[in-house]
Amino acid sequence: MEFDFTPVIDYFPTLLKGVGVTLLIGLAVALLSILGGQLVAVISLYTRKAVNWPLRFFIWLFMTTPLLLQLYFLYFGLGELILIPAIVVGILGLGFHYMAYNADIFMATIRSVSHGQYEASRSLGFGHLRTLRYVILPQAFYRALPQLSNNMIIMVKDISVLSAIGIGELVYVSQYAISITFRPFEFYITIAVIYYLINLMMEAGQSWIERRAAYRR
Amino acid sequence: MTQTTDTPMVELRGVKKRFGDLEVLKGIDLRVDRGRIISIIGPSGSGKSTLLRSINNLEVIDEGQILLDGVQVNRPDLKGLAFERHINHIRQNMGMVFQHFNLFPHMSTLDNVTLAPRKLKGMETKDARALGMELLERVGLADKAEAYPSSLSGGQKQRVAIARALAMRPKVMLFDEATSALDPELVEEVNQVMKGLAEEHMTMLIVTHEMAFARDVSDWAMFMDGGVVVEADTPERLFSNPEQERTRHFLRKHLGSQSSTSA
Repeated sequence: MEFDFTPVIDYFPTLLKGVGVTLLIGLAVALLSILGGQLVAVISLYTRKAVNWPLRFFIWLFMTTPLLLQLYFLYFGLGELILIPAIVVGILGLGFHYMAYNADIFMATIRSVSHGQYEASRSLGFGHLRTLRYVILPQAFYRALPQLSNNMIIMVKDISVLSAIGIGELVYVSQYAISITFRPFEFYITIAVIYYLINLMMEAGQSWIERRAAYRR
Repeated sequence: MTQTTDTPMVELRGVKKRFGDLEVLKGIDLRVDRGRIISIIGPSGSGKSTLLRSINNLEVIDEGQILLDGVQVNRPDLKGLAFERHINHIRQNMGMVFQHFNLFPHMSTLDNVTLAPRKLKGMETKDARALGMELLERVGLADKAEAYPSSLSGGQKQRVAIARALAMRPKVMLFDEATSALDPELVEEVNQVMKGLAEEHMTMLIVTHEMAFARDVSDWAMFMDGGVVVEADTPERLFSNPEQERTRHFLRKHLGSQSSTSA
């Protein structure tokens, strides 16, 4: 078998577009799942059971079923009722999935902030919500960073699952290129290397953020 | 309500507090005039910390009244948000210093000091910074303004915590065993800051284990045991010539051990 990477070079602009889509989705999902996760954690911890049980049920649902099933359900299942663009389904599906995991992390780190921090803030005259905003949540966020960034690194690889609902991310566009060039080996090797590079970048970002956060915990 | 110079800065009337079945404050009366410095001493579990924490409602009392400058702090008649607004306002007039400092670790020293004036009083960043630097200067830590709490010693942390409490220009300062968690060689730097405040006639309530300091700095000393004020007097009389046997017993134990360590 001879390797021929010429088709890969020919289709490189297409692959790059796939990388762009992957990264954009990654960014959107990271924002949604981190901000949403924080909100879900706060509501779960600080509201009455009657208020937060639907939310906890929702978390449980997303944590106990496969991502692919969730996507199929949102796209094809709900698609029977309402047509949502695949990209929106992809971002929401992946976003909710990771929101559930991130909420779990935030619940643990919010609980880990000592009660003395809460009292110090209240004694200055801050109310409950402002204490959360200025004192508790920032500390919980810094403490959550290592696990959050691990989750986000896994999430970027999971974006490939979105090819199943026809989103033009990296794996999807390479499948397309392979179907024309019949060069699966070369393409898969190439996108594996691209994923490796994306990972490398994210890990560098992770350690940069953690160095900055270390003395703030 | 009108406040005259005769209105006590802090007043407690028949304050009772229970934790479950245990009554930790059994009807405390106290009057602190403005500019006075009161030390509260007593064995662990005597209720002295609970008393101090009750004054700014970190502990909610079950009976009695607490007044700050003539305004009632505990308001059983107010519920929910109405009470929240009331107590947030009241607390802005009281500075609290904790045994374990409780500095905000995610903020620089300066931001720790300026957070409350910026967010609660809406002070401009520039003005808050000037105020923060002035207060850090006063506690001798202007050079640590940009440092984070994790890089400070215990004594430095507590001095920042005092500056943070002063930033809201409180009418009264509450010190809850401010030096108990410190290494002995770091106690003095915190005591010096507190003495400085005393010289400026800040009204202070000091819960402490430092008998020598209490004797030195305060105008009035209270010995608490078992949820009651056993004896209250000028520090000279309370420490040298206490009337109650319980006070004598406590002081023998504490002054004895302190003089032996300093000898």
